Amino acid sequence: MNAIDPIHAEAQGIRLSGVTKSYDAKAVTIPPMDIEMRAGEFTVILGPSGCGKSTLLQMIAGLERVTGGTISIGGREVQDLEPKERGLAMVFQNYALYPHMTVAQNIGYSLRVAGIQRAERDARVKAVARMLGLADFLHRKPGQLSGGQRQRVAIGRAIIREPGVLLFDEPLSNLDAQLRQDMRLELAELHHRIGATSIFVTHDQVEAMTLADRILILNKGRVEQFDTPKTIYSRPASIFVAKFIGAPPMNILPVSGDGRALRFGNGKVFAASPLKGEFLLGIRPESIVLDRHGPIRAQLRHREDLGSHMILTAAFDLVDLRIALPFGSAEPQQSDLHLHFPRECLHLFDVEGRRIEADFHLEYAN
Amino acid sequence: MTSDSARFGHRWLPILLVLPLMILILLFFYAPVIQAFYWSFFLEQPFGGGSQFVGFDNFSRVLADPEFWRATWRTLIFMVTASALAVVLPLVLAIAADRQIRLSPVARNVLVWPKGVAGASIGVVFAFIFNPFVGILAPLNNWFPGLWAPGLDGVDAFITLIVAHVWSGIPFNFVILLAGLRAVPHTLYQAAALDGAGPWRRIRDLQLPLIAPQLFLTLVLEFTESITSVFALIDTITKGGPGGATTLLVYKIYADGFRGYDLSGASTQTVMLMIFVVLLAGCQFAFLGRRINYER
Ligand SMILES: Nc1ncnc2c1ncn2[C@@H]1O[C@H](COP(=O)(O)OP(=O)(O)OP(=O)(O)O)[C@@H](O)[C@H]1O
Ligand SMILES: [Mg+2]
Repeated sequence: MNAIDPIHAEAQGIRLSGVTKSYDAKAVTIPPMDIEMRAGEFTVILGPSGCGKSTLLQMIAGLERVTGGTISIGGREVQDLEPKERGLAMVFQNYALYPHMTVAQNIGYSLRVAGIQRAERDARVKAVARMLGLADFLHRKPGQLSGGQRQRVAIGRAIIREPGVLLFDEPLSNLDAQLRQDMRLELAELHHRIGATSIFVTHDQVEAMTLADRILILNKGRVEQFDTPKTIYSRPASIFVAKFIGAPPMNILPVSGDGRALRFGNGKVFAASPLKGEFLLGIRPESIVLDRHGPIRAQLRHREDLGSHMILTAAFDLVDLRIALPFGSAEPQQSDLHLHFPRECLHLFDVEGRRIEADFHLEYAN
Repeated sequence: MTSDSARFGHRWLPILLVLPLMILILLFFYAPVIQAFYWSFFLEQPFGGGSQFVGFDNFSRVLADPEFWRATWRTLIFMVTASALAVVLPLVLAIAADRQIRLSPVARNVLVWPKGVAGASIGVVFAFIFNPFVGILAPLNNWFPGLWAPGLDGVDAFITLIVAHVWSGIPFNFVILLAGLRAVPHTLYQAAALDGAGPWRRIRDLQLPLIAPQLFLTLVLEFTESITSVFALIDTITKGGPGGATTLLVYKIYADGFRGYDLSGASTQTVMLMIFVVLLAGCQFAFLGRRINYER
């Protein structure tokens, strides 16, 4: 490999202020949104299907107009500019390669449009192709490539102009599991080498957790949380986020407080607490501890062995609790389970699903 | 035994079913073609009664006839101009429609109907439209007397013929080309827009190459159509006139055979025309067809 990478971008920050989008007068796809991505940051947009991830990306790219608000890239307002004037590039889910052009022509198309001389163009195409392991395929048509190779061509086409901003709309979702994993690592490495500000749309939480500097979680066009993967996992801002990140999702149990104790729906006291009113208690399956002296009792209904860990499903207080046991831990012998919820692993939400941040002074009775 | 009889039924039923069609094709396509080839080597009496083998005499007679060369030349001019227009106009319309309108299936159907209208009816309509006294161009003659006179001026008559032909070809070609454009995934245009290509550039670098199969198809059909099916238009609009200006080869064959009673001459020209059409289609497939092989 060369000492100096052939491609290096001047990363640019992105700021959205009050950006909204309505495709028609009746429905608002994206209500006013204010977010900022720092130069060189890798942002992953995560959310369920139809929540507006692609719409957001396309507005930044200039493929969809904003209904209101401003978008600035590198301090320059771009919402009224053509895509090509925004200095960004995009990788599409279905690759969107030009089927009648060779790999070399696909990668070099933007340079050809820009009127760059053939010799320089060829040199840069070769450099990018070498970087992506495509050097042997330059004269093939996209139809003669595998899915992973096509995806690399699409990435090559995007990075050859050294854009300050790189957009990815579910670029790995057409690949099989193994390839996805390989490409994910390659993308992470590529990001470090190129340094462009990257926005990456996905529904895959593993991709989000591993690639992102920060994850933007969208729900019906609204920002649920925009934070580092670690914070999103350890301090989810809402039940939506809590259930979206983590597999199996966080257990949510309704509790009510009378000022002295928090009780489960079945009337059993969970812990002493000064809280009053209805709440939702969250605990991740992997945080629950099997403990012979644990105060919480549940009935084991089902077990799934996934090799690396085991998932137990147990009936407790009208809901199914999911418990993840790491490989090698002792399996329960009878169906009567005694559980312990470690205090530092508990999350408390109000009935709207918003996180309650204040210290909620739980005291286990013991 | 049973399997034999069952197979017997299977073997004969399909043949029985296609028999009527085969008889029709045999009777109205292959028989005349063979007859034409046969006659082109004989000297035929118009009302029957004796024919005489003359070898290639008919061919040398036709090739020496300046009228034949004039008709051939007109046919070529008509073929090139009419076909080009009949593909280019729908192409422009289709690109415009693909950009702006999402055509409903209903609209698409309405647009193909003119294709179902036989050449003769279109000819009659155009004979009226271009009539120098009552047609849409009649006012032109009020301002500049004699400017539009397809009945007298050969060029005007030729233009009338081309317009009528192009007109009847637009709907079909439009639908074919539009279907081709619609099949190009939208993200390709988005990718090209991000690569910096403007609308014209996208037409040139993406749309035209990607609808090459459709362009090729319409062009092949147009070339052959413009040679043969123009007959109905000529017969209803100009009758080959004025002064033979619109006597293309197909019409000359008809005139020679049925008005001049020169069956051998007409057959010989038919054979030459058929060979030309086959060669033309063959060339197009050989040269154009090979270059547009790719997977979407
Ligand atoms: N061109 C359009 N016209 C009208 N509505 C649209 C258009 N594109 C998207 N929408 C609507 O906007 C909403 C958001 O769509 P979008 O494609 O951004 O979702 P997404 O989060 O990318 O979903 P997915 O994960 O399935 O790709 C959806 O309800 C969709 O129906
Ligand atoms: Mg999407």
